Amino acid sequence: MFKNHIKIALRNLVKNKGFTFINIIGLSVAFGVAILLSMTAFFELSYDQFHENKGSIYQIYTTEQTTKEPQVSLSNPVPLAPSLQEEIPGIDKISRQLEEKIILSFNDKQFNLDISWVDQDFFSIFSFPIVEGNKNHPLKELSSVVITQETAKNIFGAQDAIGKTVLLQINQKEEPFVISAIAEDNKPNSSIEFDIAVNFVRHSKYQQNKDAWDTKNHQVYIQLDKEVSVANFEKSTAAFTNLHYKEEIDKLKRDGVLPDQNNQYMQLHLFPFEDNHFLSFPAGKANVSKTLPYLVLGVAFLILLIACVNFVNMNIAKSSTRLKEIGMRKTLGATKKHVFFQFWFESILIFLTTIIIGVGMSVLLLDPFKTLFNTEASLGSTITPVIGFGFILAFFMITLLAGGYPALLLSKLGTLQVLKGKLNGKGRNHVRDVLIIIQFAIVILLTSGAFVLWGQLDYMRSKDLGFNKEHVISFPLNGKRNSYEAIQLIREELERQPNIVSVTGSDNNLGIGKDGSVYQSILGFDHKGKGVKTNMLVVDYDYPETLDIELKAGRTFNRSFPNDSKSILINEAMAKELEESDPINKQIMMDDSIKYTIIGVIKDYNFRKLNKKIDPITLFMDTEWDLYYGYVKIAPTNIIESYDNIKSIWQKIEPQAAFLGSFLDENIDRTFRSEKIMITIITSGAIVAVILSCIGLLAISLLVVNQRTKEIGVRKVIGASVSSITILLAKDFIKLVLIAFACSVPIAWWSTSNWLENYSYHIDLTLWFFVISGILAILIALATISVGTIKAAMQNPVKSLRTE
Amino acid sequence: MLLQLKNVSKWVQSGGQRVFLLKDINFWVNEGDFISIMGPSGSGKSTLLNGIGMLDAFSAGEYAFLDQPVHTIKEKQRAKLYKEHIGFVFQSYHLIDELTVKENLEMPLLYKKYKSSQIKALVADTLDRFNIVGKKDLFPSQLSGGQQQLVGIARALIASPKLILADEPTGNLNSKQGEEIMETFTQLNKVGVTIIQVTHSEKNMAYGSRVINLLDGHIV
Repeated sequence: MFKNHIKIALRNLVKNKGFTFINIIGLSVAFGVAILLSMTAFFELSYDQFHENKGSIYQIYTTEQTTKEPQVSLSNPVPLAPSLQEEIPGIDKISRQLEEKIILSFNDKQFNLDISWVDQDFFSIFSFPIVEGNKNHPLKELSSVVITQETAKNIFGAQDAIGKTVLLQINQKEEPFVISAIAEDNKPNSSIEFDIAVNFVRHSKYQQNKDAWDTKNHQVYIQLDKEVSVANFEKSTAAFTNLHYKEEIDKLKRDGVLPDQNNQYMQLHLFPFEDNHFLSFPAGKANVSKTLPYLVLGVAFLILLIACVNFVNMNIAKSSTRLKEIGMRKTLGATKKHVFFQFWFESILIFLTTIIIGVGMSVLLLDPFKTLFNTEASLGSTITPVIGFGFILAFFMITLLAGGYPALLLSKLGTLQVLKGKLNGKGRNHVRDVLIIIQFAIVILLTSGAFVLWGQLDYMRSKDLGFNKEHVISFPLNGKRNSYEAIQLIREELERQPNIVSVTGSDNNLGIGKDGSVYQSILGFDHKGKGVKTNMLVVDYDYPETLDIELKAGRTFNRSFPNDSKSILINEAMAKELEESDPINKQIMMDDSIKYTIIGVIKDYNFRKLNKKIDPITLFMDTEWDLYYGYVKIAPTNIIESYDNIKSIWQKIEPQAAFLGSFLDENIDRTFRSEKIMITIITSGAIVAVILSCIGLLAISLLVVNQRTKEIGVRKVIGASVSSITILLAKDFIKLVLIAFACSVPIAWWSTSNWLENYSYHIDLTLWFFVISGILAILIALATISVGTIKAAMQNPVKSLRTE
Repeated sequence: MLLQLKNVSKWVQSGGQRVFLLKDINFWVNEGDFISIMGPSGSGKSTLLNGIGMLDAFSAGEYAFLDQPVHTIKEKQRAKLYKEHIGFVFQSYHLIDELTVKENLEMPLLYKKYKSSQIKALVADTLDRFNIVGKKDLFPSQLSGGQQQLVGIARALIASPKLILADEPTGNLNSKQGEEIMETFTQLNKVGVTIIQVTHSEKNMAYGSRVINLLDGHIV
């Protein structure tokens, strides 16, 4: 029996080569794409799940009441962690962590590395397994350093790294450290990444900030005792906060800030570390949003759905040619069960073939896919027994539904009816219509989504940010020299070059550079009896000039004013925050001792990503604070030459350091990483959906035309024109696309407008995005249908009548 | 008695009215009969044959097959009954195009859950008996109409049914092929197979031992 079924299945597949081919291609593509997409999604969801203590690890954040909405901070003061451990019960382990860059020297070679300053407990809270060296307390000695395998290989090659002494540049001084342990390389799905880890106590600012509760610069992780709940912990720290943050709280009270419902002005909170990758803090509340991975899974699901709809539709349509066989089998003794299993088995055969091709495809396309989607996901890192089992279950369900439904329909047919080769199937056409509507609704949903996303990205890219992003190159000052000295050297070197306009430096980048680091420093102080917060930026001379930031009032930093180290530039938002109508020459006490004078007001510019409003910012020019980035503005001609020029000069000045310069518009572009990933996913999803739907529509329209050959012949004999027949045939399908349009627009509108809400600066949603995708869908559908219909309509009616 | 019909009727609803295809048919068949059902187009010949073959149920009346009341027993038992005892031969052969002659012959046995050794033996026997051993690996489309119908008969007979129902078995054949098929039926009838055939042709009718004439759903 089984053999008989295989035979007939194979022979039928071979007989309908075109159909089989379309079916297999469609399903394989869908499976391949779905595998790749769900792999990405599961990879995202696997972030930080590998820690053995998952479930009891938390990260601390503080909320502070303000006159507006509560403010959240992940940064904590240095004394917090030790005080917590001493005063609050229930803390099993605690560790601070501060991520920075550091220069490591070994045998006259220099390495620019990511360092994490951490406490001893760090390696027992988190699962970063030590493969060599001191496994239990790798950071017990203050001069110990833990490095990853990859870093060890880079520095020492094949040599044994344990016990070697390296020099770390702390406070412009090289200090010796001994390698005590080698940790496994950072997993791609880990939020915490480091090349080396050193005891927190050795940080350059540690001594200075040891008891300072008002300087906050690092994260704190906690592992709670098993019996302690987060709510209890948060409750038990109320008094603690009131005691240690008293100064800040008093200021808040003075400014008329209202406490929260628990009568707290500041509150320590915990969030589970496993949610770290998906965390954001809109409106002062921790919010875990796994939208992106679920969106990707959703697209994968929709694509599979389209392919399955194709399969069902084509199989039902195609079954008319198998009716005689079914009838015959029934008269020869086949029961419903027999017929069902025969046809289901045929479906399984196709599904098995396609899943094999699909898996093969996804393996082949993995590398281009990874670059396209900027993901580290791989089959190995994502497949767990649960996911594997889920995958098999999903496959089984798909074959059961998509393969079983047509089989069920066929098995239910009456023997006599099918022997006559007739399908009385008005009802089944409804199912087909609904399925086509679903398909096109998905297509319209995805294309309009893609249009809106592209629109927003284009808007963000082309928006005037208030500074020159096309002709300015920024690069991290990652060498050994003092940063001001380095900038001065570059300035001297470049001054002679014809295509260089100006050179400056600052302690922060605009956008995200090649070094990939982002940070923000905020300063709070009192002005006219009111607390004010501002972003801080340390700059060198010519900063606004180099970046073409417009000056609204006053002047910029100038070499002819020797006292400019106590002068500041503010932006308009800051002027507003200070409530000064004429801020020029006003003095501000930003510290207990130092008075700063406002010398100029610059126009608001988007120094952060466009989903944020422009906040107050203050520009300082105090050489006590280091610069971290150099900026060079070049002339619009010979751009590549100028870039190479800057690179070679940097390498002359800092021969050991890599040049990581990039244009600001590239940097800005880098900040759109998540948007770009989303766009790529939705766009490619839309393209695949369009292709698959077209395949399905093509096949069905051909079959419908076939079924209506006689009708077409009769109509032509009576005198219908080619165009009227084409319209007649296309009309039914276009109606379905229109219904699909009506169904999908509200969903598309709702979801895209929700998404745009995340951006302070966004395009206005107009109906055009949806109308255009609707028109596109109709055009595509028309083009697809016309392949078969026009041919049928043009045919000689005598011929089409003869076939009856 | 192999089967008996008592006051059997068959109607369809059309525009709120009953249209009778068969009305008050009384009719019996003994084992070993060779019966020809005659009548013009639309007289209900095929409807009667399908009813007897249990492919279709009568609307009213009693139908006993091997003393079992077909009109009251369950679908499953009915299927078992016809699977075991009835073989069908069709005007347009209804061979499965994707299967070879040999595989077409195997099929009824597969549904009846024969063992594979039995199937092999029976197929070989049948191929031999109908002189189509040389054609066993050909597909239906590679055979002439007469040969296809021969395979159709062979397939109907392979599980040794008590009754063969043939709906215009020679309708698509030329006269020489038709004669051969009818000869085959006669041979089978001689060894005890009961045959009911529906036919238009007087010539074929003559092969039968009893004739039933139908007109507008009545026996005349």
